[in-house]
Amino acid sequence: MKPSPKVQKETIESCKAGDEKAFTEIVFHSQKKVFNIAYRMLGNLEEAKDLAQEVFISVFESIKDLKEEVKFDAWLTQITLNHCRNRWKYLKRRKYFNSDSLDDPVETEDGNMPRAIVDPSDNPETLYEKKSIQHFIQRGLLKLKEDQRELLVLRDLQGFSYEEMGKLLGLPEGTIKSKLHRARMDLKGILERAAH
Amino acid sequence: MDCEKVRDRFSSLWEKELTPSEEKIVKEHLSSCPECQKEFERFEKTMGWLRSVAEVEVPEGFLPELYKKIEERKRAPLGEEVRGRWLGFPLSFKLPVQAVAMVAIVFLVLYLTKMMPMEVFRLKDAKQPSFPLSEEKKSEQVLSQKEMEKERRVSGAPPETPRPKDVDLAKTPVPREEKFEGAYVPQVKAEAKKVETPPSRTEVMAYPPIESKEAARAKAPTPEPGKIEKGLAAKEKSAVASKPPREIILKVSDRDKMISKLQELVKQFGGEMVTAEENIFLASLPTGSFPEFEKELMGLSPPTQTDKAIAKKQAAGNLTAAPGVKREEVDEKIKELAKRAADQESRTMVRILLIQE
Repeated sequence: MKPSPKVQKETIESCKAGDEKAFTEIVFHSQKKVFNIAYRMLGNLEEAKDLAQEVFISVFESIKDLKEEVKFDAWLTQITLNHCRNRWKYLKRRKYFNSDSLDDPVETEDGNMPRAIVDPSDNPETLYEKKSIQHFIQRGLLKLKEDQRELLVLRDLQGFSYEEMGKLLGLPEGTIKSKLHRARMDLKGILERAAH
Repeated sequence: MDCEKVRDRFSSLWEKELTPSEEKIVKEHLSSCPECQKEFERFEKTMGWLRSVAEVEVPEGFLPELYKKIEERKRAPLGEEVRGRWLGFPLSFKLPVQAVAMVAIVFLVLYLTKMMPMEVFRLKDAKQPSFPLSEEKKSEQVLSQKEMEKERRVSGAPPETPRPKDVDLAKTPVPREEKFEGAYVPQVKAEAKKVETPPSRTEVMAYPPIESKEAARAKAPTPEPGKIEKGLAAKEKSAVASKPPREIILKVSDRDKMISKLQELVKQFGGEMVTAEENIFLASLPTGSFPEFEKELMGLSPPTQTDKAIAKKQAAGNLTAAPGVKREEVDEKIKELAKRAADQESRTMVRILLIQE
């Protein structure tokens, strides 16, 4: 997945000055990225839409405080992630998701096993044919811990570099890599158990 | 390299981030270990699925809805905005704030629950005259006493006259207090129940003395003849404390002359000289003629202390004011006289002290 081209510095400056057209341009430019991060993090289209709109409202209200226009993309992603974390906690408290228990513990190698996702097929290849792979992956993602899901969404779905991720999450690249590997292995385990 | 270490390098191998030497070692292990080979194949498949996930298109009407929300937010009252912001704050901020608020509420509740019984005690204290009162309450009590004084004057009884009733009332202070408290504790409870319409404080303050007097009168025992002498000292003390005899101090140069004039004056005003002990004279006078008698007496010799209040204070506090007088003898005389005087309600006792110039 290719990263989207950056928003022009002039557009950000105009938006800071209160230009609505510039704001609209920013929304058009970034809405897909914000919406997709939100959807992969929450697993629900309506919630993702609402959250993405909240993100842009935050941008509209606080873009005047942005000092370095160059860091707009990182700033926008940070706002999106913060909104996602808060919304996830909020929805979890309200038990909004009634599908295969989002609260189930994540499977680990220690043997803490969640309920298996029931599927009639034994073969993942057949599963691929029968079901939408996106839906399958999405459910797998939602079974992961929130920070693991963040890493997979940023790196494997949104194509962020390790450097960008390090800055966003405030972690060293080595830590990001090891945590990301653990998240991938956990997802692999979840998908395998779901298929069997 | 063991299996676990090889599996830890799956991500790096898949992203081609291993050094050539490391990659060679891992690949050699994979070719020799079918378990690790199978695991790596599954890993590759998962990564393939993950990377194949396509982006979802933004729903239609995203931007108009966004603008609508922005407009609504602008019109929203401040309260809602603050509430919205509050929800947006991280939990690390919200939790301590909520904890502090909880502690504050607990302290407030404790404070209030402690305050309530205190208020009841304060009301009780206000009704007990033996306890020290605040300035406000004192003034209220003085007002109520003045009102009673007025009532007494209207009924005809002079307030300064020492009466047997007063002697008895003063004699029985303990049952008076008991009755007072006993009578008013339930009332306090009743007041606590009627929170909406509590009685005014002046009413509360004015009522107790009347009640206590009546109670004291009811409880006061009739003095037996044999016990009179025994209890006379106490009676006299309390009588003096409540209604002290008038005291006039005269400076004289010719003592005998002054005594004869004094006796004449007493007789002239319809009184009688009860006792004449060296320089102390006790006379019983009709209350109505006392002011004129006093005036005449003042004309004989200027008093050393004209201030009535001071004279009263001396009489009430200390009977040893006259020098050279044996206190015990004088006391006994005064007791008898006080008794006799007490029998006559309409008479005023006057003590006259003569001082040689």
